[in-house]
Amino acid sequence: MRRQGILRVFVAGSGLTVLVCATILCTWIWTVQPVGAVVTGRVGERLTYPSPLEILSSKNAKQFYVLCNESDEVRVLDSATGTAVKAISVGHVPRGIALSPDGSRLFVTNSWDDTISVIDTGSLEVAATWKVGAEPSSVVEDRTGRYLFVANRISNDVAVLSAQTGAEIKRLAAGRGASYMAMAPDGGKVYVTHVYPNPSPHRTEPESEITVIDAQRAVVVDRIQLHGIAGVFHAAVSADGRLGVAAELHPKNLVPLAHLEHGGAFEDTLMLFGADVGNRTVEVPLDELERYAARPFDVAITPDKSHLYVTSGGSEIVTVIDVRRLLNYVQTHHAPFVQDLSASSNYVVTRIPVGRDPRGMLITDNGRKLLVANRLDDTISVIDTQTNRVGSTIRLASPSKLSVLRYGEQTFYTARYSFQGQIGCANCHIDSTFDGLEWDLEPDGFGRDIVDNRLIEDLKGTEPYKWNGGNPNLPTECGPRTEKYFWRSANYDDLTLADLVTYMLSLPLRPNRWRLPGYELSPAQERGKAIFDRAVDKFGAPIPLQNRCSYCHSGPKGTDQKSFDVGTRKLTDNSGRFDTPQLSNIALTAPYLHDGSAATLEEIWTVFNPEDKHGRTNDLTKDELNDLIEYLRTR
Amino acid sequence: MRGFRGIVTLISFTAVPLFAAPQPDSHVDRIAADIIVTAAPVYVPRAELRGEERFPKGAHLLLVRDGKAEPLIPEFAASADANVYFDGSRVIFSGKQKPGDPWQIWELSLKDHSLRHVLTTASDAERPLYLPAGRVVFGLRTPGGFRLDSNDDGHPLLSTPLNPTTGPGEMKLAYTRGSSFPDDVLQDGRVLFESNYPLGNGQAAEMFLVYPDGSGVESYRCDHGVARWAGEQSSSGDVVFTHGDGLARFTSPLAHEVRIAAPPGQYAGSIAEAPSGEWLVSVRQPAGMHYVLKLWKPGTSTMRTELAESTQDLVEPVLVAPRTMPTRFPSGLHPWDYANLLALDARLSRDGVLKGTPARVRLEAQDADGKAFIMGTAPVEQDGSFFIQVPGDRPLRISLLDAKGSVLRQEHGWFWSRGGEQRICVGCHTGPERSSDNRVPAVLLRTTTPVALTAVQPASSAHRVASGGR
Repeated sequence: MRRQGILRVFVAGSGLTVLVCATILCTWIWTVQPVGAVVTGRVGERLTYPSPLEILSSKNAKQFYVLCNESDEVRVLDSATGTAVKAISVGHVPRGIALSPDGSRLFVTNSWDDTISVIDTGSLEVAATWKVGAEPSSVVEDRTGRYLFVANRISNDVAVLSAQTGAEIKRLAAGRGASYMAMAPDGGKVYVTHVYPNPSPHRTEPESEITVIDAQRAVVVDRIQLHGIAGVFHAAVSADGRLGVAAELHPKNLVPLAHLEHGGAFEDTLMLFGADVGNRTVEVPLDELERYAARPFDVAITPDKSHLYVTSGGSEIVTVIDVRRLLNYVQTHHAPFVQDLSASSNYVVTRIPVGRDPRGMLITDNGRKLLVANRLDDTISVIDTQTNRVGSTIRLASPSKLSVLRYGEQTFYTARYSFQGQIGCANCHIDSTFDGLEWDLEPDGFGRDIVDNRLIEDLKGTEPYKWNGGNPNLPTECGPRTEKYFWRSANYDDLTLADLVTYMLSLPLRPNRWRLPGYELSPAQERGKAIFDRAVDKFGAPIPLQNRCSYCHSGPKGTDQKSFDVGTRKLTDNSGRFDTPQLSNIALTAPYLHDGSAATLEEIWTVFNPEDKHGRTNDLTKDELNDLIEYLRTR
Repeated sequence: MRGFRGIVTLISFTAVPLFAAPQPDSHVDRIAADIIVTAAPVYVPRAELRGEERFPKGAHLLLVRDGKAEPLIPEFAASADANVYFDGSRVIFSGKQKPGDPWQIWELSLKDHSLRHVLTTASDAERPLYLPAGRVVFGLRTPGGFRLDSNDDGHPLLSTPLNPTTGPGEMKLAYTRGSSFPDDVLQDGRVLFESNYPLGNGQAAEMFLVYPDGSGVESYRCDHGVARWAGEQSSSGDVVFTHGDGLARFTSPLAHEVRIAAPPGQYAGSIAEAPSGEWLVSVRQPAGMHYVLKLWKPGTSTMRTELAESTQDLVEPVLVAPRTMPTRFPSGLHPWDYANLLALDARLSRDGVLKGTPARVRLEAQDADGKAFIMGTAPVEQDGSFFIQVPGDRPLRISLLDAKGSVLRQEHGWFWSRGGEQRICVGCHTGPERSSDNRVPAVLLRTTTPVALTAVQPASSAHRVASGGR
């Protein structure tokens, strides 16, 4: 028997009937509490789970709309009974959902299709599909019905569309990885957050922002600077418009990662903004001395502003905060607060355990209930806000079996394996990608071998791992090394590790937005490819084999899986030989080089390749380098 | 001499109760588990911190079942310090087969009542606690008091050694002078132990933490009290302990202790938590009487007696029941005899603002006789950071000096770094609530090579520090 007491499926208690989804029209059940049934094994099938990510209420409060991230659906529930009304198919990997002000239309951003599904809430049918920017991640409509704002994660902007036709009017530059938006209650402003840090000088604190858009004029009116933050998720604004709250990660990537205690790797914080805090930003921690609120994601504020709630995906909890106590604390004490792990005792009421990877929330019944979407166990926790307890749990219809991939994904997103539950894989690999940061890991020596975090999509065939190529395979990378130098705590058993590795190797490459339809190359990309493949430089001199781009960055993923010295060694590096990184979706993953010292692709050659050891590039003009970049972006 | 592990079969339990528990209140249910408790004619609180005998007139473990107590190991001359394995199947304890024996570590199987001599030591080995992965931590009597030690418990679960320099087997976990004695193994895998504050030269009982490979030693909290001891982690994660005569707790959200409003009395600490949430406490009311076992529901004002004996102190109760296994700690020690210590901002301290700018950091070490020697000094950067290489496994103390060499601040006590340890300090006595700023310390921008302060100094007066430091 494997992992007794750890793996559980949720089934109805005695007296209730377990309803099985037999058709695409799925059925939900209410259960008093999930009853644990031990799973003795996992199946190797590739099963599709709903994976609820966000929840909305219909205008008349009679229905809930549950955005299902993996099954590409919006599931509609009866809010009184929790029973299924309908499942509406949308695009691929839906991530954001919003209701029009009059409640007649539901907008869903399909992040991998680059589309928006417009659902008629009367017929519960998709009425239109609109094309938008790269990886749309959230959407809101302004109060007048004129504009639709769409945050695009890959193009780092907010597209302004006609709310009636979907025609794009313009793009507003936002933070890197623009992903989540909150509309002020009066409809005047839209607050936009982003999940990857904005560019900042090498080995300095990360910088992020909340981009503030005037919803009537559709212009950016402010950029609220978030110093030291990398990874900002949902924001919320109180009903009186005076308090804004954003959930965020405060990494410690510049300090050697020698141990985890005392917030050694990450702190999980909220950024307060607005009139209630003097129109400044105030960062407050969610963590405690020995417990963390790992990966805060969503924020919900009660209509009376008495409490706010924060989901923490890694810790699998909802933190309840007394807003009056919070404001009193920040108004009567001197900032900064973030270094004080005892600060949260002044405003945190309690922490409520919920399901796996809790994400979006919905406050209903005028603040009496809080619904929490637990993405990785397909449940919705219904919390009684008077008692701060989970009163019931809605189980979405989902496969009855737990697949290897699903278990691996649960392992990836939880923080339970790390010391005091501080971090999980998803802390640095946000949504199974990367974090845009450089880290100083302990075993190489303090201040030595600074390493850039790499994308983990499409990993098969890119081993070895680590920048020094020291780990031959993922079980080594994610097993003993992670246990000893990241989690600082007992790691997975062998089977869980195998499941985690299987999940990671299953991560597909997201669609490349720089490729033309049919995988044709543009003229600039063709010119860049020629440079990439060339054997002779511009002066007719042969380029040695090892000095051609295509030699090391060979094969379908752009790596020959070997290490080379390309002249990028810094004084702090223990060796000059580095693993050849894959080029998959390289356009997304700045900064570059092993230590993240190149802010852009261009800097790889213009700043860090003076002797042409990293390919023959010093004969190239600015335009030719641009062509090379254009080609690399298609990889 | 260590390593002998014999097996002795316990012939039978005696069926004759030695003590009769008083009739409990008729309307109150008993604890739904057997209890093991140490009964001693005399129990001396905190004797372990003076290196003295806690049970000077002997002790016996009792099994309490359905309100009746009987000796757990009747053929032993003495037994104490029961610790139940995580699955509830066996008990490790300190015992003496014959009256003249030192306290030794034994294990009793609760399934077949077989006995196993876990560890043979020349001196007393007491208060054994199970660690995950087949190890045990205990207090070993030395000429200077008890010392925190670790060893295999005979049930190794992993072949991974805790320390690459020593491999599996015995490992010393504490390296300062004075007594260090285990209290509990926390769920996060660290060992909670009691010693005197300031560590290595103090007189006030206090609780400290260390990883099971001896690294990462630190005070549990830095609101130091006058007599904190006998800590035990409850299911909530709080650590409940004795402070003075009363009970107090440390809880994750707070940097300071919280007094527990328990009925008046002198508490012996080491509470056990019943499945009902009630606490089984050892208390004497009034002072001078013997300690008895009482069941108390936190938040209430009354307790009921679970077990009492007019001639015996009843202390250190444990429940015979499965419990959650703490997290195994994977040691990341390097195979070095030195350690690297990086301070991010030495100016930060709970002790207040420095009255000058620190220019250098001075490292002192102690020799085997407790003599303090200056190992050298290293520069402190403008941002307060310094990076030094220090000798492993020795008592160390740090002082901040100004440009003239005057001491601006000195550590209250002593600490150690394990050989192969790489440690970061946020400041100097900043407290566990203080997390680090996220910035590259200036010293690492200047050099990534620590200033080596590891050379063994000659015992000359020029390097010797006056007792107590300056």
